[in-house]
Amino acid sequence: MSEGAATDQALPPVLERVREALPDIPFQYVPTPLDPAVVVAREHLLPFMTALKEDERLAFDYLRCLSGVDYLDELEVVYHLRSFRHGHTIAVKVRMPADDPRVPSVVHLWKAADWHERETWEMFGIVFEGHPDLRPLLTEEGLGYYPLRKSHPLAEIEDWQENLLEEVERLAAVGAPAAAPEAVDERAQKVALAQKKAEVIKKAREEARAKGLSAEEERRYVQEALKRFEEEAAKEAAAAPAPAAARPSPADERAQKVALAQKKAEVIKKAREEARAQGLSGEEERKYVQEAVRRFEEEMAAAPAPAPPPQPPAAQGKAPLTPAERAARIALAQKKAEVIKKAREEARAKGLTGEEERKYVQEALHRLEQEGEGG
Amino acid sequence: MAAPAPEHRHELETIDLYINVGPQHPATHGVFRMVLTVNGELVEDCDPVIGYMHRGNEKLPENCDYRQAIGYHDRTDYLAQFNTEWTFCLAVEKLMGLEVPERAEYIRVILGELNRVASHMMWVGAFGTDVGFFGTPFMYAFREREVIQDLFEAVTGERMMYNYFRPGGVAWDLPDDFEEHCRYVIEHVRRGIDDLDALMTDNEVFLARCRGLSPVTPEQAINWGLSGPMLRACGVRHDLRRAEPYSIYDRFDFEIPVGTQGDVYDRYLVRMEEMRQSLRIVEQALRQMPRNGPIMAAGLKRVLRPPPGEVYARTESPRGEYGVYIVSRGGDKPWRHKVRGASFCNLSPLREMVVGNYVADAIIILGSIDIVLCEVDR
Repeated sequence: MSEGAATDQALPPVLERVREALPDIPFQYVPTPLDPAVVVAREHLLPFMTALKEDERLAFDYLRCLSGVDYLDELEVVYHLRSFRHGHTIAVKVRMPADDPRVPSVVHLWKAADWHERETWEMFGIVFEGHPDLRPLLTEEGLGYYPLRKSHPLAEIEDWQENLLEEVERLAAVGAPAAAPEAVDERAQKVALAQKKAEVIKKAREEARAKGLSAEEERRYVQEALKRFEEEAAKEAAAAPAPAAARPSPADERAQKVALAQKKAEVIKKAREEARAQGLSGEEERKYVQEAVRRFEEEMAAAPAPAPPPQPPAAQGKAPLTPAERAARIALAQKKAEVIKKAREEARAKGLTGEEERKYVQEALHRLEQEGEGG
Repeated sequence: MAAPAPEHRHELETIDLYINVGPQHPATHGVFRMVLTVNGELVEDCDPVIGYMHRGNEKLPENCDYRQAIGYHDRTDYLAQFNTEWTFCLAVEKLMGLEVPERAEYIRVILGELNRVASHMMWVGAFGTDVGFFGTPFMYAFREREVIQDLFEAVTGERMMYNYFRPGGVAWDLPDDFEEHCRYVIEHVRRGIDDLDALMTDNEVFLARCRGLSPVTPEQAINWGLSGPMLRACGVRHDLRRAEPYSIYDRFDFEIPVGTQGDVYDRYLVRMEEMRQSLRIVEQALRQMPRNGPIMAAGLKRVLRPPPGEVYARTESPRGEYGVYIVSRGGDKPWRHKVRGASFCNLSPLREMVVGNYVADAIIILGSIDIVLCEVDR
């Protein structure tokens, strides 16, 4: 943060007063349409905010809004303040690296910050040091992720799943057509069966209608048709040889295909994120993603040899989650939730008070974490 | 059987009891839960639990373009839809430097103020039920609200989710008979307010239950971040329409009612007077409004792309300061979209307001805050 840049600009009267009251703390002026904003270094935040509240010339007694913002590599907390005595407003911004999200709490200055800080903590993972009761506010405990961070997907998760499924199906159809007709997985079979069943039901119902049967008779008619269908299906299943054992290893093949599809899905996701970060429009974003997919496919075509099979688990901190990691996290969160539930029930059974119960649950969670590290 | 001697009764041991109010409870005005620790009838602790309505209303518009995001504001505060839409549009207009045409400004003021009346009507009705008037004020208030909603329906085609304001103006012009219809509404509602006034304001039971309950000092109110009628009831003459005038509020003559005690009764009085003042503003706006003219800023692109920057726009919604903080990085979607719900901030010091009162009064105190859970949880 350069002090030189700050002094060059003509400051609005409020900031002149701030400079007068706080000559030692450098800040950077950012004009916004309604309130003058200043960027302050994190280590200066607490003295800065204290002076804003306590100094007679400033007297910002009203914290009207507190927001977190995710700038990908950095996180930001924005405080919007107003002074009832002087009628002036200010926005204070403090930035921190995304891997060190800590900021001092201001609850002791403005009680209004209480829920705002709790919410910002749970939504962005920004720890407000010194907050008396930093519990999640809107979501349940142990969510394990921060919904308002840009890395948390919204529409992408559905797109991603859809792309993955489509890709798996396409590869299953294209990759090994004659050799492995049964390579379609169990789920697809089930779906097919269910569809057939639905057709049988529909047909039977139509027939019944055509015959002018009563509702009761119609139901019976449909049931009979279903029964016949199921018997036939069972016969077919018994007659068909078990092909799975004979084939070499369709599972491996499938796993490869799935891995490829997953990679592709990741490329899509990454491209989309990049496009978002660049602030592209929807149309431009789509093009950008298509381009990335095309490049990826060309690469795969150019290097037909399968990629080195065992992927070294990259130890990058900020890389997007792989599906396996995601699954592991979900499993962990579920386990945690179970532990919390059990501990809570135990605490209730013991008749502990709310405070004791909370502690009891925290201890149980702590034990779980230690176990996880140990094993 | 002989009754136990009185001294024995004094020695009875009492224990703290937890009472779970909500999330499904008629007195919580939505899915809100509070865990009360009571000693006898006295509330010793209160832990508000919110989030049952959390739908990610801040995240969703970050994936919409600027006009699509308006609908989410209808659903944030579903009793002050025009005011919330207005705030969002104001934010985009400030970012883009848009000028809103005169006629559109007047349309916004008229609808926004009537929306305030409708919202307060809803509150008075529900609050009456909280206090113990079962049904009567509720029906009186809803009759008036219905009249206002008919007008809104005539203008927007919708009863609840209007989606009528746009950055730069309003979506389409008013119906031909709007003025006539509006005057009828004003007359009707004015009489309705008088009816409610006669029914409630001097009522013995109402006074006994509300007066002096949970007084809040101006210093506390400001430090807790209260706004709107909650803040004014404490004697702080602060109304964004006057303090930081937006739109064309500097052209109207209206008063800002304030309380003296900051208790529940003052909150009621402030809201009742605010309805009358809102009707005054509507009357003035009807007189001043240009009869025709553009209702949308000229030269707007099909997709709005505000330049990079940020803005915190706020308006005086029926519940207080409704704020929208938008960070734009130049794209067609907001990079960050934060909503400062007025009732979120008004509800946060609930513990301080409730502790030390009786359980039955806790319900009244909660009711007097005028919460909309969709806005609290977002």
